[in-house]
This record gives sequence, structure tokens and C-alpha cells, in this order.
Amino acid sequence: MWTDVVGVFQKYMGTGLIVIWFLGALVYLFLNEKRRERRLLFVWLPVIVLLLYFNPLFAGVFCSMLGSEIYFRNCWMIPFIAVIAYSAVCILERLKGIKQLLFGTAAVLLIVVSGKLVYANPLYSRAENCYHVPDSVVHLCDAIVVPGREVMAVFPSELLLYVRQYSPFVCMPYGRNSFVTDEKNDFYIAMEQDVMDVAALSVYADTAGCHYIVLREDKEILGEPKDYGWEFFERTDGYVVYRNVKMPLDF
Amino acid sequence: MVWQIIILFLVLLVLPVLVGSIFSGVEHKGLNLPLRWVSGQICLWAGFQAVSVPLILMPREKGFFSVVILYMVFGGAMLLFALGMGIKRRVRLRAVSNTAAALKKDKVALLLWGLVICLLLLQLILAVVLAYEEGDDAFYVAVSSVTSESGTMYQVLPYTGGSTELDMRHGLAPFPIWVAFLARVSGMHAATVAQVVLPVTLIGMAYMIYYMIGRRLFSGSSRRGLPLFMLFLEVLVIFGGQSLYTAENFLLVRTAQGKAVLACIIIPFLFFLLLLLFERMQKRQGAEYWILLGLTTTAGCLCSTQGALLTCVLVGMGSLSAVVSCRRWRILIPAAACCLIPVGMAVFYLLLG
Repeated sequence: MWTDVVGVFQKYMGTGLIVIWFLGALVYLFLNEKRRERRLLFVWLPVIVLLLYFNPLFAGVFCSMLGSEIYFRNCWMIPFIAVIAYSAVCILERLKGIKQLLFGTAAVLLIVVSGKLVYANPLYSRAENCYHVPDSVVHLCDAIVVPGREVMAVFPSELLLYVRQYSPFVCMPYGRNSFVTDEKNDFYIAMEQDVMDVAALSVYADTAGCHYIVLREDKEILGEPKDYGWEFFERTDGYVVYRNVKMPLDF
Repeated sequence: MVWQIIILFLVLLVLPVLVGSIFSGVEHKGLNLPLRWVSGQICLWAGFQAVSVPLILMPREKGFFSVVILYMVFGGAMLLFALGMGIKRRVRLRAVSNTAAALKKDKVALLLWGLVICLLLLQLILAVVLAYEEGDDAFYVAVSSVTSESGTMYQVLPYTGGSTELDMRHGLAPFPIWVAFLARVSGMHAATVAQVVLPVTLIGMAYMIYYMIGRRLFSGSSRRGLPLFMLFLEVLVIFGGQSLYTAENFLLVRTAQGKAVLACIIIPFLFFLLLLLFERMQKRQGAEYWILLGLTTTAGCLCSTQGALLTCVLVGMGSLSAVVSCRRWRILIPAAACCLIPVGMAVFYLLLG
């Protein structure tokens, strides 16, 4: 349990340099801050939360009731950035002239070096539209959606995250949860192969009641789609949409 | 589109500011727009929790539309109550112009404020023009999208669209349903509300809370203290990506998810309220302070089921610290009362979940 809790804390803190600045700020405020209300908020409260966080009894009860994967959220009760920012300003206000400028610049540089630019995360990209989903999802969903009813469609994995954010009228045989869980859906596995075996996909699509099948344009197709009741429907943004005529789209 | 933006402006800014006038006396008498905005929104969130949870637990066809109507009635009632109270209070607008005039004399402070505003604008612009591939959005945004269109709450599996039974963990913290409410009343797509409108609003609100904390910390010192404090905070937030779990990362990346609101708005606002409590330990806090504290813990439950625990722990430890420091045992009674709703929600979760 103890190692789990420490591990979660280490994971939360990344390189750990911010913790060093935080502990330094805590010590500075402990020694220099005389106002009781500020000592309570910026020294004693964080210390008590830290003690609680590393308390095996609290950790044991918490993890048994809510699970260990969200234990890191207890760190949100520690005002890391407020303590660091407040102590930095307190130090700055005690300095004069060039020393003040040097300390201010050094403090900002240390924060920049110790942390990591949030926007440098590779999962960021330029938003393609006001929904923050790829344009391909918008075009595909708009093409297949039928007014007044839901449709069932299967999509390649890179689109699963976005389809139902954009259109609640498009249902899917498996969703984003399929590739984050250990138990993979057979249909999902078949869709992620390098070669699209229409015979196999057709069985899964019929079983799931798919009205549409969306395939990547660059994937090799094994078999003739028409032979399995798939009619070409649309080609857009690097995807080919087939209409499964075996599944009627009645109102 | 223009009407949608105007409606959201009214619901997310004007209504909270007006409702927040109920709590304007918590800090000091005066215009105090930041406190009005944040406390008004907290009050409205707490009301949404009270209105939506019973209807989520009694699932029925199109239950969401009942939530929309009831919540609008609640908002209207709070607005009338606030306006009624506002007539009794006089607002000191002169304080604002005095501060602006004083600032003009200190060029460095003015420059620092310019930097603070530039960094804030940068974050708001990036929240609009950058998209983040956030896995949990496949659940939360899809819940909002499904709810606003179909009117059902947690009866549809957001990942696929299949039917499902109510999941207590999410049903008791219906923040995505509030997002669906915004989408429904404005007519804007739920994804746009969650990915564009709310990040801009909530990032601004998070910094407003730190501004309120900083204003108290640096009220007696030089005019440069507060902008420096805000500047350091902004740099710490922007470079807070040392892990995916930090509150700073949640603020910029997952802004419209309830857990981010818990980490970056509810908990910092609790720090602000605790600072007020610590500053005035010798004085008796008014009823409106304790009501606001209770509403904040309730709003924490709307954001996340864990909000019940975190807000109670903070209020408990904060009030115990005050008691030990000041020997004022009476603080414990209203503080415990503020935790009643979160404790009730936690018991509910354990019993039903």
C-alpha cells in the first residue's frame, strides 16, 4: 500500500522538481510568515493534507472504497501553485533593484525548466472545426445520418473517440472502450487488420445490425463488397463508406 | 450562432453575477464582481445538483426536459431573490475607479497586469484553436450530446448508443447533464459548448478565484504584489504539464469535465473561503458565509463523486485547524452542517453503488 501511494505521488509530480520548490516555499513561509491565517492556509493545511495523503489507514480505506487509480486526486487538496507563487512574491517584495529583477527572472526560469509546457503534449492539434472533432467525422456522420432515427455504423479505431461526441444519432457496435479494455471485441479486431476481409466483416456487421461500414481508403480489401450486400455509398476524407443493404433503414 | 452566444453569455455570466449578489457581503460590501460571478455560479451548480439527481435516480422517458424546466424555475427564483436583496444594498462603484487611477501611477504594475492579461488571453485563444485528443471526452461529451438531443439521462451507453442501466458513480455527479442543459437552452451543439465555450468561461473563472485569493493576500502591500502573484500562477499553470494528473493540466486540457472543475474551481474556492474564515476567526461568520460554504461542497458533488470526499476533508481539516488555532469550538457546528449534503451523497453512493 505504502509503495502504491508513493508511486502515485511520484507519478503526479513528474520530474519532482516542482515538489522541491513547493517544499522550499513551505519552509520559507514556516520561517518567515508571521500572520496566523496565512500560516494556516499555506503551511499547516498543506502539511496536514500531505500527512493524510501518506497515511496508510486513509489510503487503505480510500482505495478499498473508490479504487487506487483515482488516489492521485487527493493531491488536488494541496495548493502547490498558490504556495509557490505566494512565497515567490513574498521573497521578491523583500528584495530591491537588480536583485529583485534577477530573482524574478530566475524564479520564472526555474518554473519553466522544472515543469513541462502543457501545450507541448503531442495529443494537441489544431482544431478543425467548432466541435473539436476531425472534419472527417463531421462529413461521415452528416453523410450517413438519417433524419428521425438512429443508424448503426462501424468505424476505424481512430474515429471512435469522436463519432458520438458529434452525433448521438450514430450508434456503433463497439466504442472507444473497446480498445482501452483488455477484452477486445472480435469485430474491432477484424476492423484493425491490415487487410479488410469482407466475408468476415460482413458476418460481424450483420450480427451487429450495421447499416453502414466505414473503411480506410488505403486498406486492401479482400473480397467483392457487392457480393456481401455492401453498396458503395460515399468516399470522403480518406474513408470509403459502404451501405449494408441487408439492414433496412425504415422509419 | 449570435443568439446562441448571447444566451450562453446571459446564462454563464450575467445570471451568476446577479445571483451572486446574494453573497456579495461574504467578503466586503461593494461591487466585487469576481465574488458575485463565482459564488453565483456555485449557487446555481448546487441548485442543479439538487434538481437533477432525484430525476436521474427516478429514470423516466425524457426526464432531462423536466430537469431543464425545474432548473430554469430555480434560476429564475434565485434571480428574483437576488434582485430583491440587491435593492436593499448600495453598491460602491467609486472603489473601482480609485483602483484604476492608482494603477496608472505605477507603470511597472501596469506592465505586469498587461502581461497577466496577455497570458490569460493566450490560454483562452489556445483553448479555442487547439483540440486535445482526450479519451474521457468519448464518455462525458457523448453523455451531454445524447442527453441534450434525446432527453434521457444515463440510460444510453455513451460509447456506442446501446441501452444501459444507471451507473451510480456518474449519475450522482451529473456535470455532463449541466453541459447538456447549456446546449439545450442555447441551441448550440453540446460538443461546441464542452470544447469551446466552457473552457473559455471556466479557465477565466479559475483565475478569477486566484485573483480573489491574491487580492486578500496583497491588499496591504505594494500594487505589484497581486499581478506578480497572478503572473507566477499563470506560468505554473502553463508549465504544469509535468504529469497528466496535475490540477493545472486538468484546467487546460479537460476544462469542461467535472473533475477538472472540482480541482480548479471548487477546491481553490474552498481555499478562498477558508482564508476568509482564518482571517476572521475572532469574529462570528455570517449565515451567508456558511451557506456559501455549504453550496460549494454541494457543487463539488455535482462535479465528481469524489468531490464529496475532497470538499468534506478540506472543510473538516480547515475548520479543525481554526479551532486548534483559536479555540473557537463553535465553528465546528456550522462546518459540520456544510458537509451534510456531501456526506449524504457519499452514503447514497455506497448504499446504491
